[in-house]
Amino acid sequence: MAEYELDCLGEACPVPLIKAEKELDKMNVGDVLIVAIDHSCAMKNVPEWARKQGHNVELDEVDDGEWEVVIEKMK
Amino acid sequence: MSENQAAGSSIQRSSRSRTRPKKKKKNLLPQAAILVVLVAVVGILLARTSALLAVFWITGMAFGFILQRSRFCFTASLRDPSLTGSTTLTRAVLIAFALTSLGFWAIKYGAHLNGLPIPGQSYVVPISLATAVGAFMFGIGMVIAGGCASGTLMRVGEGFIMQVLSLLFFIIGSLWGAHDYGWWKLNFMLDGKAIFMPDIFGWIGAIIVQLLIIGCLFVAAAKWEEKKNS
Repeated sequence: MAEYELDCLGEACPVPLIKAEKELDKMNVGDVLIVAIDHSCAMKNVPEWARKQGHNVELDEVDDGEWEVVIEKMK
Repeated sequence: MSENQAAGSSIQRSSRSRTRPKKKKKNLLPQAAILVVLVAVVGILLARTSALLAVFWITGMAFGFILQRSRFCFTASLRDPSLTGSTTLTRAVLIAFALTSLGFWAIKYGAHLNGLPIPGQSYVVPISLATAVGAFMFGIGMVIAGGCASGTLMRVGEGFIMQVLSLLFFIIGSLWGAHDYGWWKLNFMLDGKAIFMPDIFGWIGAIIVQLLIIGCLFVAAAKWEEKKNS
């Protein structure tokens, strides 16, 4: 099980999602991706999108206005 | 339960990401209290000049708060259907449109029934190809900038620095647009025809047609999400 990190701090809304999508494509099932974001909109749409894709998702507020979306690739 | 498993979570994370220093949340209650007092003071000062200004101040605050808390985003409502297939926000916007339609209709119809001048008629402007072209350009711009007008303002308030840049160019663009507005209006906008729906369908018909269109879009949005996620 590998763990990947994606630094999307300072990236506005659709960018973190598109980057996460591309990164997830490269990963194997069971790998974990941690996406660091600070755009409040991405905090909503990245987890929502990943859950709909059927992945395990966890959202962690690391600091005020800074989040880590932890995605475990399921398929 | 293994050590690196967070409570209530099913995802295994390496110890590295768990040990990353997690800053303690600051208690912002005093600042919040000061802000509430400031908002009230400014509101009272504005009310002394004009009651309407105070109403704008309060509704502006309320809009911003709701926008921020609900993560309501007009950009996402139009972008996400094609990007992720999610139409949650699209449907939320459609519901908002339906509600405001009812409100506008009630205000205008009420004025009409009482023989008063109908408010807001200056906003009934011609629609033409220019409307569609402008909307398309606005759409491209807002997706790149990461927010439409309200979304950009809200995120600047949240402290997202990149969008301060969006705001700056949004202001420049608005000023430029306002400066040349007369020319655009004369050469492009007046080509179209202004349509006020109650003139065509009658007062009751207008609201029914409007709500039917919104209803159809709502169903289409729901079906789109189903199709995209199946």
